Amino acid sequence: MKHAITHTTHYRYSLPVNYTIQLLRMTPRQDAHQRVLKWRIDTPGDLQPLLDAFGNVTHTLTLTEPHDAIHLKVSGQVDVQPLHDGQIRNEDSRLPVAAFCVPTRLTQSDDSIRAFCADSTPNGVQRPADVLTLAQTIQARVAYVPGTTDVTTMASEVLQQGRGVCQDHTHLFLACAHSLGLPARYVSGYLYTEAEHAASHAWCDIWLDGHGWISVDVTNGQFASDRHCRLAVARDYDSASPVRGVRTGGGVESMDVKVHVDVIAQ
Amino acid sequence: MKDQTPASTRAYDEMVDAHGTVRPHYRAFERWLSEQSAEEMVTRRLEADINFRRVGITFSVAGDEAGTERLIPFDLIPRVIPASDWRILDAGLKQRVRALNRFIHDIYHDHDIVRAGKISAAQIFTNAQYRPEMQDIDVAEDIYCHVAGIDVVRAGAGEFYVLEDNLRVPSGVSYMLENRKMSMRLMPEAFSRIKVEPVAHYPDLLLDNLRECAPRGSDDPVVVVLTPGMYNSAYFEHAFLAQQMGVELVEGRDLFVDRNTVYMRTTHGPQRVDVIYRRLDDDFLDPLAFRGDSVLGVPGLLSVYRAGRVTLANAIGTGIADDKSIYLGVPDMIRFYLGEEPILNNVPTWQCARPDELSYVLANMHELVVKEVHGAGGYGMLVGPASTQAELEAFKRRVRANPSNYIAQPTLALSTVPTYVESGIAPRHVDLRPYVLCGKEINTVPGGLCRVALREGSLVVNSSQGGGTKDTWVLEDESC
Amino acid sequence: MLSRTADNLFWMCRYLERAENTARMLEVNLQMSLLPQDNQTRDNSWRAILRLSELEQAFDTEYSSTTPRDVLHFMVRDPANPSSIYTCLRAARENARSVRGSLTTDLWETHNFTWLELQRLLAEGKPERHPGEFFEWVKFRSQVARGVTEGTMMADESMCFQRLGINLERADNTARLLDVKFHEQAQGEAQAQGELNLSRTEQVQSAPSRHSAHSEFYRWSAILGSVSALENYRKVYRDVITADRVAELLILRADMPRSLLACVLAVSADLKRIANADSAETERRAGKLAAELQFGRIESILEDGLHPFLDRFLKQINDLGNRISQDFLVPLSA
Repeated sequence: MKHAITHTTHYRYSLPVNYTIQLLRMTPRQDAHQRVLKWRIDTPGDLQPLLDAFGNVTHTLTLTEPHDAIHLKVSGQVDVQPLHDGQIRNEDSRLPVAAFCVPTRLTQSDDSIRAFCADSTPNGVQRPADVLTLAQTIQARVAYVPGTTDVTTMASEVLQQGRGVCQDHTHLFLACAHSLGLPARYVSGYLYTEAEHAASHAWCDIWLDGHGWISVDVTNGQFASDRHCRLAVARDYDSASPVRGVRTGGGVESMDVKVHVDVIAQ
Repeated sequence: MKDQTPASTRAYDEMVDAHGTVRPHYRAFERWLSEQSAEEMVTRRLEADINFRRVGITFSVAGDEAGTERLIPFDLIPRVIPASDWRILDAGLKQRVRALNRFIHDIYHDHDIVRAGKISAAQIFTNAQYRPEMQDIDVAEDIYCHVAGIDVVRAGAGEFYVLEDNLRVPSGVSYMLENRKMSMRLMPEAFSRIKVEPVAHYPDLLLDNLRECAPRGSDDPVVVVLTPGMYNSAYFEHAFLAQQMGVELVEGRDLFVDRNTVYMRTTHGPQRVDVIYRRLDDDFLDPLAFRGDSVLGVPGLLSVYRAGRVTLANAIGTGIADDKSIYLGVPDMIRFYLGEEPILNNVPTWQCARPDELSYVLANMHELVVKEVHGAGGYGMLVGPASTQAELEAFKRRVRANPSNYIAQPTLALSTVPTYVESGIAPRHVDLRPYVLCGKEINTVPGGLCRVALREGSLVVNSSQGGGTKDTWVLEDESC
Repeated sequence: MLSRTADNLFWMCRYLERAENTARMLEVNLQMSLLPQDNQTRDNSWRAILRLSELEQAFDTEYSSTTPRDVLHFMVRDPANPSSIYTCLRAARENARSVRGSLTTDLWETHNFTWLELQRLLAEGKPERHPGEFFEWVKFRSQVARGVTEGTMMADESMCFQRLGINLERADNTARLLDVKFHEQAQGEAQAQGELNLSRTEQVQSAPSRHSAHSEFYRWSAILGSVSALENYRKVYRDVITADRVAELLILRADMPRSLLACVLAVSADLKRIANADSAETERRAGKLAAELQFGRIESILEDGLHPFLDRFLKQINDLGNRISQDFLVPLSA
């Protein structure tokens, strides 16, 4: 499936900002099943590209002259191949999978998560079907309700509240995977959908011995497919988010985001 | 499991042998000391106290509005080390740090040692100190650990053991330097009689190394010392070293990233920074990469680091090599990377993560020192022989609950050095932290920080728990 | 040098100067309040102090009446008052502590001792029991710090920033003092005239009564005394004290150390020494201000009105301060 993507972000500030630095993860990955056909980033200021340890294409944006607004625009086309049962073929990552067994504050499991996991998949997660089961159990248990959580909500809180959005579903899945000693990672990206859901999306990869990385969309209770365009992988939202920045000055910030994902005829 | 307790549990006295005879390397000092009157020594000790306070060599107590600062007690009687001992230590320390640097490089590149089955993947990659962000970052001269503080003890029969490696932000060298200055000031005659290896060149050596490890293409590298600020307990040392090296002492907010470069805010505009000697933990270095709430670091620093456009000393992620669980693998590292046998030995250690070793530890805890794998500063530790039955039982429960977080070592009778105490002079346990500096070459500075446990019988030398320090005199090698 | 270090040195000096000037001003007021005067005048002069530092509102939210006791409390000890002597000395010492490594031991110990002594003096109620002595002490500590600085600190870039702090603050405080005191004086005269009118027994146009002539003398002496300029005045003018000469001495005489011109000349000279890629405009503005004062005439200033002149001057000094922070130090908005 060929995705045509446009993603604009506008920041506005009530007072002048003296200095802004932002780490952008807004360029799709070159993975085995995903190829970037063309891609451009339009930003003010200075932009420095860098491939990070996770294989993500990142850019560091810096603005050193006073400013009170920032307009970012990314656009391009990506060709995504279909996946069988979400299996990503032969990903050549230099990072050992064991590195993805480590929970962060957002993906820390507790007794309730362990119990939930045991309930959902009593025999553990060993085959792709188990992955789907776990994902669908979470989907059923955590209703998709925007506005009840934020980027600091932990997996245990998500389970307790029973409400959240895609990053919460993902964090909870990761916590479950880690509690079972399985490597798993956060994936941020775009989803082509005819529904009204935001096209910016989050899902997971989980590593099963004998199968490699299996990519699963917890929010939608299904394996990832050629509708999923991957931007970045990391241990959680904090390290995979499209924009992470720091500024000096600025007063109150307001942000406006528009994402548009279309499919182009092959 | 064979018994690994050293042959003698009586402490080795550095100055006096088992028959009461002064050892050859201490004779000159002992002679000098015997010529001093008690009053003279009291005066000298008072002067040391006053001067340390004046210069401000203190540990500041965090959060104290009035800024009261605690002195770390300095004992005038030096620890004297013969040249022959130092030759062994020197070779052993360099070998160890060389292997550790190779290990860290391997962990963040091809993982050969894991592939070879010498250390398990889980032990490394799930370790909290492992930083995946470092994978494939190439650092100047392949040096990760520019400054290492290796804690060494001497046990019952006089043999040396490495107690611990400190590879992240090792501190204490300012005490080593100031102690020497103080000793020379107060006992100049002793120094004129006894040939002691100098240590004052440490800051110069450090600066040279740091400049040698600058990113490629910087012909007059700018070095800075990055400090968390004046409320940090080791602030004195940060300021001291910056001043001795003649470089700026900066805080995170003095630096900023632009155009893949780190700049320092000066009155003449932004100045490029090439090497950062950072006295800040990894977690706080870059709010865009690590703890987002840190205001102590420099946002965007990791990206510049990854691009090879700034050097951090020590590198990010060196903590993977100084973890207590990894400590056990250091002899294997020396064999694997250098093809040599270790010159210095680890303290014999039982891992509670292993069931048979756990049983041994629980059965013999009253004779052992049990430590948390992830812990620091002497806390979370049990000294078996010094504990009550109740304390032992409580600790056993903790160990059973989380065995993989504990290791145990025999109660080493650390060597002692005569020390001034309430009632006169008495032996007190000491350890030694020599500093190893890595640049294009590896260097040590003879001696190191000697810490002394001031309470009788106490084996805990940490300054935060009532320890003091001594000057360390490595005698010049007369044989050359 | 690091901008932050220069910033700390700058503010360390500015705050100490502010404390000294506050003490000077309070001392003057104290002396003047001993003169025979009616309650209204006395009240006005204490309120004038508050107005001088733009603190009337802050004061009124905390205190219900303008008694000398309350004003003194507010201006000496109150930590909620950003310009109280306590707040200023604390800030000076905090800034010094932040750059302790850049100070000579002598200078650090001077600042530290001032702070420790202040605690002691406040605890034993010195400002209340012997206010004159206390204000003398504050002045003295500030002067000692200047002496120690000149005698021990390297005469390099850092010295320029310290001097900038002192001179900007001094110019600002002196201008405010002149503004308020001249206004007060005018008020007092108008009142006196009004009283004379009402009494209908004396001629309005003739010289003011003996009583008010003396009080005028004391008032001007006190003002001159507050900037240690009484003897200087005599040396320069050798004559009776008149308002325009006081204004001239304190505004336009370059050789009078606390005059506006002397301060601005010093600022201009230091800006030249530390010039960087961004400071050309700031340097130009300082130079222009210095030239205006250097070639100004007191007659024209008084003709156009002293108050508008001083008001404009304060804005210009404030502008220079902001620009210096922006060009060299830590910008104030950061």
